[in-house]
Amino acid sequence: MKSMDVVELVFFAVATFFVLGGGVFTVAARNPIRSAMGLLTSIVGVAGMYLLLSAEFLAAIQILVYAGAVVILFIFVIMLLGPSAMSERDTKTAISRYLAAGVFLASAGTALVLLARMAGAATKFAPAPAGFGHIEAIGHELFTGDLTPFELSGALLLVAVVGAVAVARGKQIDPTLHPQAPDAGPNALPKESAK
Amino acid sequence: MTSIPLEYYLIVAAALFLVGTVGFLLRRNLLVLLMSIELMLNSVNLTLVAYNRVHTESHAGQIFTFFVIAIAAAEAAVGLAIVLAFFRVRKTVRSDEADLLRN
Amino acid sequence: MEALKSQFPAANFSLLAVVLLLPLLGAFVNGIFGKRLGKQGVRLMALSAIGGSFLASLLTFLMLPRGEAAEEGGHLAWNAWHWFTITGKMQQAIPIDVSFAIDGLNATMMLVVTGVGFLIHLYSSEYMWKDEGYHRFFAYLNLFCFSMLVLIMADNLALLFVGWEGVGMCSYLLIGFWFGETKNASAGRKAFIVNRIGDFGLLVAMSMLVYYLGTLRFSSIDLAATNLSVPVKIWPIGNLSADTLPSFVAAVILPKEPVMVYASTLVGLALFLGCAGKSAQLPLYIWLPDAMAGPTPVSALIHAATMVTAGVYLVARMGAVFILSPAAMATVAVVGAATALFAASIGLFQHDLKKVLAYSTVSQLGFMFIGVGMGAFASGFFHVFTHAFFKACLFLGAGSVIHAMHVRIHDTDKSQDMRNMGGLRKYLPITHATFLISCLSIAGVPPLAGFWSKDEILWKAFSNEIAAPRTVNGLVPWAWPTWLGVAIYWVGIVAATMTAFYMFRAYFLTFHGDFKGWTIVRGWTDPHAGHGHDDHHDAPHDDVKGDGPEPHESPLAMTIPLMVLAAFALLAGFLNAELIHVAPLGHLLEGVFKADEVAVHERAAAHGKEMMMLVPGILAFVAGIGAAAYVYLQNKGAQETAFAKSFPRLYKLIYDKWRIDELYEATVIGMVDALADIFQMADTWIVDGILAKLSAAIVGAAGTVLRAFQTGKVQAYSASMVIGLAGVGWFLVRPHAVTSIDDTKLKQTGEVVVSAAPGFGYSYNWAGPGLAPTSDFSATREITIPLQPGDKKDVVLQVKNAFNGVDTQTITVARPGKKAAAPTPGANPMDDLAPGGKVVIPGDKIPDLLRGLHQ
Repeated sequence: MKSMDVVELVFFAVATFFVLGGGVFTVAARNPIRSAMGLLTSIVGVAGMYLLLSAEFLAAIQILVYAGAVVILFIFVIMLLGPSAMSERDTKTAISRYLAAGVFLASAGTALVLLARMAGAATKFAPAPAGFGHIEAIGHELFTGDLTPFELSGALLLVAVVGAVAVARGKQIDPTLHPQAPDAGPNALPKESAK
Repeated sequence: MTSIPLEYYLIVAAALFLVGTVGFLLRRNLLVLLMSIELMLNSVNLTLVAYNRVHTESHAGQIFTFFVIAIAAAEAAVGLAIVLAFFRVRKTVRSDEADLLRN
Repeated sequence: MEALKSQFPAANFSLLAVVLLLPLLGAFVNGIFGKRLGKQGVRLMALSAIGGSFLASLLTFLMLPRGEAAEEGGHLAWNAWHWFTITGKMQQAIPIDVSFAIDGLNATMMLVVTGVGFLIHLYSSEYMWKDEGYHRFFAYLNLFCFSMLVLIMADNLALLFVGWEGVGMCSYLLIGFWFGETKNASAGRKAFIVNRIGDFGLLVAMSMLVYYLGTLRFSSIDLAATNLSVPVKIWPIGNLSADTLPSFVAAVILPKEPVMVYASTLVGLALFLGCAGKSAQLPLYIWLPDAMAGPTPVSALIHAATMVTAGVYLVARMGAVFILSPAAMATVAVVGAATALFAASIGLFQHDLKKVLAYSTVSQLGFMFIGVGMGAFASGFFHVFTHAFFKACLFLGAGSVIHAMHVRIHDTDKSQDMRNMGGLRKYLPITHATFLISCLSIAGVPPLAGFWSKDEILWKAFSNEIAAPRTVNGLVPWAWPTWLGVAIYWVGIVAATMTAFYMFRAYFLTFHGDFKGWTIVRGWTDPHAGHGHDDHHDAPHDDVKGDGPEPHESPLAMTIPLMVLAAFALLAGFLNAELIHVAPLGHLLEGVFKADEVAVHERAAAHGKEMMMLVPGILAFVAGIGAAAYVYLQNKGAQETAFAKSFPRLYKLIYDKWRIDELYEATVIGMVDALADIFQMADTWIVDGILAKLSAAIVGAAGTVLRAFQTGKVQAYSASMVIGLAGVGWFLVRPHAVTSIDDTKLKQTGEVVVSAAPGFGYSYNWAGPGLAPTSDFSATREITIPLQPGDKKDVVLQVKNAFNGVDTQTITVARPGKKAAAPTPGANPMDDLAPGGKVVIPGDKIPDLLRGLHQ
């Protein structure tokens, strides 16, 4: 075993620990802030694996978009909601969900065992060709063959931004339009709450 | 960087997906549900990139991952906006309070 | 004119599109945008549409071929588009086109429809002014004009039928125009349903014409009509015979000789059923008096001047068919005479002004049918023409009177009751003058229009004789007895006397004597002003004997049509005054009816009696008017009261219209009601009770079960999704050995190919006779197995997937046959089914059957 391989294996092990540990922490933590931190850890781990898989560009994107944008967004919302972001402990029973989780765990476990039994057929990677995963090669493909989906995803993001703003703002009462409207502020909550 | 076989990545991805799914099924905090979805998306991305490493003649897997990341970002934005709107109405982020569809 | 002729050649006379489409446009605009246009806009649209149509019709009339060309049957034709094609009995294609042909007959009709139509539009634009449904009214009225024009301009029966139904629909819509009242709505329904019976006849006639002649075009029917002279067996129908029926039934219902009639008689009678429905003849006349529930201008246009004469027009148009069947002609004439007399008798004692006019219309339609039934098509049609003027004028005059009565009396029935009128002469001078002219005209006073047309018809009834067509296949056609024409003549004279009597009764009651509606107080103003005409609420201040203002003459827009129509009622007779040999209209129609009138002759006995037979006609109106004047002008109706006193039951019977409606109520309608009750019971108990409730219960139970799963929680749904996903995953993880057998090469090479289904990461191991035994899995997906007839081989397939799971499948392939024996053609392939297996029947035309038995 070459020393390079050992480094790689260690790196992989650490990344796996980040990915799975972060994932479990995300799911298990009661405080959503902790969940967000777990998600961040998991995302960084995945980025490390991208590096191992010669996808340097994607690794950078992963850090930028996920860690830099999505997780920050989560944290903003959590802070906006304050203490009520933390949900109280479950008291109600939900057999169907535990059943589903159980079934899924069992079948996924079986799949993992079957995968492990394929050890003999383990697929070793060939050395990557020069420039594989580099920004130049990806950019070339992205802006030639996949230009249409690229533009469409741009449009999708725009729509999502507008939609997110529209949904998050909620129903607004323009005081200039309805001068005699009740004194509730622009972001007034609807009077009737279901509880 | 060739010593780790494909299956290792697949197993990690499967495990991560498992964690995400179980979280999605068992948690009731809408924020955590959204994060679980992000976990699942990440596991799928990992699979795509790993397979792309086998078939190096194009970057289809990586580009697909790129789009998935874009859509995940959009989904997170809209999803969080919905959580906020829901919180305004119900004063909670518990998913089982979202039962207006019931009967 | 020359320029127009080159623009619109006779064979492609597209000017007709203008005639047709203007009213349609008016109907569309008024119907869709009428409310936004405002009343002025609606009035302008409706009047200009029908006025433009009238001008185009006038142009068409002027451009008709004249002189010799007309005698040769020259006409203007326009084919709009090909509509559809049907197949005749000789498998020939019969095209049905949307095409129009104009000759003297329908050009005159076009002028009447658009001209009288325009006047009535003008009249109603004032009469209906205060009505809320102003735009709706004019949309319907324009649509009616369009449909009527389609009816008369069509060059084939199919297109005529479109117009026929169109006018029926508009009539329904307009009778029930004030549908708020049940009475009006049910009058509309009655008209529609009674017309349906007639339409059935028309449809049957069309089918028979297609069958026997292979055409629906009028010009072709004229040429081919003699093909209708074939005997048709009408009883026993179908395969009813002594063989198929029990003997005692057969003895009763089967005649010794089968009953045969000529096809022309059948077609003629079926056509006449349609005409009787549309033109309100016995026994289908009952809808027309009720149709007076519509606005008065509608009664004038549809139920007097145009639509109801469509039946007469159709008989005249189909003259070539009728002339072949003296029996059908006689039916038309006799029904016409009976209707003329019967309706006139009802008209004698009606109190409602519009009802009198309605029965008079029915009676006059009877006269028209006498004319066409006696083979005097031109005379019958001429009466249509003159009747349009004087009857429209009478109705509009009645409308003007009602308009005046509405100042104080708002109830429909009371405002139309002649017992509330009287002495209106001095208040409504124009209405009075025009009404009087029209009354004189309808009574037949020379030289007014009605005199010429009515006496022409009566003279033709007296003198005409229909020659029997030639005998075909030994079936002697029914011959026309000589006394029948004379009898119809005298019936007509009696009916004419009655007509004169009741028309002048109405005239004297309305315009002479003392006004009985209310006490006239000068300068009286209505404390409840603002009611429309024909508004039908029983306002509490309808105290008939109360005070009121002077009845006032109608505005100019209403009196101009009256004057124009009265002028025509006065003078139109000279268009066809055969007696004094001034007959431009007659010459115009000669070309149209030339062929039909070949079979019509003047009876030798009647020759030269023309002037003599005029005398009873003149005596008729003298007697009628004289009697009416004596009773109602001189004695203020004393004799009528005396008659009602001495024969109360007869008087009541006539007043109740001979209780024909009640008779129908008791027979036909009662039967239908009973049937409906039965069906309703079936509906309640079977359809609702068993079908609906049972299926609802089943669905409801299923819903109760399924509802349990609909928790409304997204996570629960995703949980069920995950469970399903796990199932799919399990299926994918397991290997599946599935084979398919290809035996298309079996006949040539004696080999079959067995192949296994592909799968992710699959490898295969085959074992069987003729195969090298091996324990290795390889990528070989197909093997080839040689087979001789009678062979049977077992093949074992093992499939391993990427997860080292293994599935095993045994296939038995067999080839039937007895060692190279030829297979029996047509043998049931199931006969030699190998025992205990699923059958795979390969290919389709392979005699050697092969079975793969999956074990």
